[in-house]
Amino acid sequence: MLAKREDMVLDELVSIVGKDNATAAKHIRYAYSYDLTFVKPKLPDYVVMATTVEEIQGIMRLANREKIPVVPYTAGSNIGGLTIPERGGILLDLKRMNKIIRIDTESHYAVIEPGVSHAQLAMELYKHNLRWSWPVGPPTGSVSSNILCHGIGGLSGRYGLASEEMTGMEVVLPTGELIRVGSCAIREDAWHSLLPLPQLDGLFKGWLGSTGVVTKMGTRVHPIPPILKVFTVSTHNIEDMTSYMVNLSNYEICDDLTAVSWWLSQVPIPYPYRPKPDGVPEWYCFGATYSWTEKEKEAREEIWQHVLDEEKKKGSSIEYAEYPEEALKARTQLPSRIVGSTKNYTKMAGGGISWPGTFTPAKKWPEVYNKWKEILIDHNLSPATRATNYRGVHYGMLRAMIPFNKQSPEETENARHAIVECLKVDLDAGGIPYKPPVDFAIEINKRAHPGYLSLLKRVKQMLDPNDIMNPGKLGI
Amino acid sequence: MEWNIHTLEELEDKIWRCTACGNCKAAYNYGPPPEFGEICPAGVEFGFEGFMASKGKIAFARGILDGQLEWNDELLDAIYKCTVCAGCQNQCELDHKPFIPEIIEAMRRKAVQDGVGPMPSQKKISQSMRSYNNPYQGPRRVRTDWTRPFKKAKKPIKDINKEPADILYYVGCTGAFNLPARGVPVATASIFQKLGLDFGILGENEICCGSTAMRIGDAEEFKRVAELNLETFRKLHEERGVNTIVTSCAGCYRAIKKDYVLSSDYDKLMDGITVIHTVDLLNKLFKEGKLKFSGELPWKVTYHDPCHTGRHMTKFEIDEDGAKLWKGAYVGMNQEDCLYDVPREMLQAIPGVEFVEMERIRDNSYCCGGGGGCMTGYGDWAAKNAGRRIEEGMKTGAQHMVSICPFCHYNLNEGSKRIGSSMKLYDLVELLDQVIPEPDKT
Repeated sequence: MLAKREDMVLDELVSIVGKDNATAAKHIRYAYSYDLTFVKPKLPDYVVMATTVEEIQGIMRLANREKIPVVPYTAGSNIGGLTIPERGGILLDLKRMNKIIRIDTESHYAVIEPGVSHAQLAMELYKHNLRWSWPVGPPTGSVSSNILCHGIGGLSGRYGLASEEMTGMEVVLPTGELIRVGSCAIREDAWHSLLPLPQLDGLFKGWLGSTGVVTKMGTRVHPIPPILKVFTVSTHNIEDMTSYMVNLSNYEICDDLTAVSWWLSQVPIPYPYRPKPDGVPEWYCFGATYSWTEKEKEAREEIWQHVLDEEKKKGSSIEYAEYPEEALKARTQLPSRIVGSTKNYTKMAGGGISWPGTFTPAKKWPEVYNKWKEILIDHNLSPATRATNYRGVHYGMLRAMIPFNKQSPEETENARHAIVECLKVDLDAGGIPYKPPVDFAIEINKRAHPGYLSLLKRVKQMLDPNDIMNPGKLGI
Repeated sequence: MEWNIHTLEELEDKIWRCTACGNCKAAYNYGPPPEFGEICPAGVEFGFEGFMASKGKIAFARGILDGQLEWNDELLDAIYKCTVCAGCQNQCELDHKPFIPEIIEAMRRKAVQDGVGPMPSQKKISQSMRSYNNPYQGPRRVRTDWTRPFKKAKKPIKDINKEPADILYYVGCTGAFNLPARGVPVATASIFQKLGLDFGILGENEICCGSTAMRIGDAEEFKRVAELNLETFRKLHEERGVNTIVTSCAGCYRAIKKDYVLSSDYDKLMDGITVIHTVDLLNKLFKEGKLKFSGELPWKVTYHDPCHTGRHMTKFEIDEDGAKLWKGAYVGMNQEDCLYDVPREMLQAIPGVEFVEMERIRDNSYCCGGGGGCMTGYGDWAAKNAGRRIEEGMKTGAQHMVSICPFCHYNLNEGSKRIGSSMKLYDLVELLDQVIPEPDKT
């Protein structure tokens, strides 16, 4: 009976997308069963490639009727195992929906399909001297998935998270209905803003693909000023670095203000753990700032110098630093193959990379980092940590990139254990993980307000009554 | 003769060094200006991640090694639907980068060894190799058909089996047996004669270089012909004074320069012999002032980089013992053997030629679709993919496309016909032959 049902489902999928775009062949499914992370491989039952909104609606109606899980997939390059199917079902590959529908050079937004890659958008925007917040990810990663999952990018210091730049969405709900949020919901071709309407985008952002399939997305784009200046400093401890970053971020002059520990500044990250050489600074920071004129640049430099002087007066270990050229290039020319390929992350270890990736108040960075360092070194892993300010405020991303040898189950489990331990420390300090694998979601939910969990479940139930969209990922 | 050709199992450590980041799926340079382009013909056509670049092929390799995937027709089909163009390899930054084409071919070797590969339509390649010493099922006597115009014009080409010569022109099976590609050896020999080069051919005694067999996983057949060829080359060097082997075929060039090196006797047998592509030789003569042009060729053309004269010739530095970085680390690459500048210099030197570039060029060239046994195994798809490349060429406003590979020659012309384009693919030697004068007209 089961085999008959599977045949029926496949036949119906084929009738929706055509025989070349739907399969249950194991070798095809296998290639979607794992990703970069420690998340255990799991196979989908079917893989389907859709190219139109109507096809996606058809797939969702079928899946909802038959109560089959659906996992939306664009590039699979997240670091949370987010597209590994927890309960099998249909892996919905959206890479062929890759049109840049519009670049509005006057209103400064772009409308894209889910399969549009960072590299693709970067090339097209550059023709108009425009940019968006390019993430530290592979050039082939999906722009919309990064936005949808609260990714960050090269303009996060200035504009916040990528998701804060979103201007609208078209979404197929788990029931197959097509909806829109933002100005495009009122007039079909108006993609300029989510506001001042109720922010229904919150029903889909940060839900890890568990509430609908985004078929179009608008995102703000910004002009590229011609003059780049990168402020680079080092400190011997996280406390001095945090003080500097909080101080500098008050002036809101940086597109990106990021610090990396010595271990993360190495290309690649040392694996297994290697002690930092004596006397070498532990933290390095780059503040990328763009200016339209030399005078503007000089004004920014004046502010930076002022901050540096202030920090020195406090007795800080801060110094001007030469940042390694390749690493600096990787950080300021995004999307970057150097970072994106995980060359600097995983190369020495052998194929695996995961993180405790969190949003954490800056004042908690020292406390969390120092505990992470203990945990990671105890697991023979490098504390390759990054801290980044968002939009001038004093919270931001704190994460440790943890490479591991994926070929070895023991080393993979060692990394997973260390990362989850780090995550608990951060959660207890008030941080929140982003793009969390299920192990993280469970820890989040343990600490969550009951009202939050209850609302989460009710919203999920409303949108996805049969719990078919990427089930299990939220840990509820 | 011992061969250092890896099994899939021997490459397992490399296979596990792939992160599945997907960087390999598209060509990208961050510029500025940023440049992006599709790079994987199979990925473009078939779409599923398994077909996509090295990320997908590594997944298959992993699955086979860990016992998750067993041979069946669909898996085999997916493994052979890859042109092994190395476009994905060019994007990768990880330690398995140097081994990516080898991993794909090692899967095919395993398939052949297990008695399930290659694909049915490709099996005739192996059978033909065994029966005729070429993949085209061509009788030996047909191999010299292309020389008839020279005999007729009373300009016979030297038979190197009988007479000594400094240069062996190794014609290759495609130029000899594939009718539409025969213009390549004809133009090559014509140019050599006009330049007064002392060259000869093996004629009916030439046997396949083994490239196609190697690409489809038939390592035994590759080794058989490679060993015969290496011994022939040595003999020609010692008995006929051959110091240089010239080939106009990208496949032969790659095989002799890169695959034959895997032989334990390569250094000994090839000592004193230089292997060079025709266009590289002509470029050297041009720079020495020994090659001059007369007249004009008022064509607007673009250039297609063959995979086998381009990125396949990349040399990789690997930290074998961990002395530099760590054991097995990919350290860097060297493209000095990749023929990117040479053909462009020659094209632009031709009086009257207006040269325009396509978007995807040099190490990010988009494969014509004919490599890796696909022209035989999946001719329709190969031609369809070639049509895509021709469309890219047409966007430049060029009338014609030029390349230096008889496989690309055939396949891109098929692609052009398929899309009803007037653009034709010419081999660079076909253009050069038109503007290199007879000696008395210089």
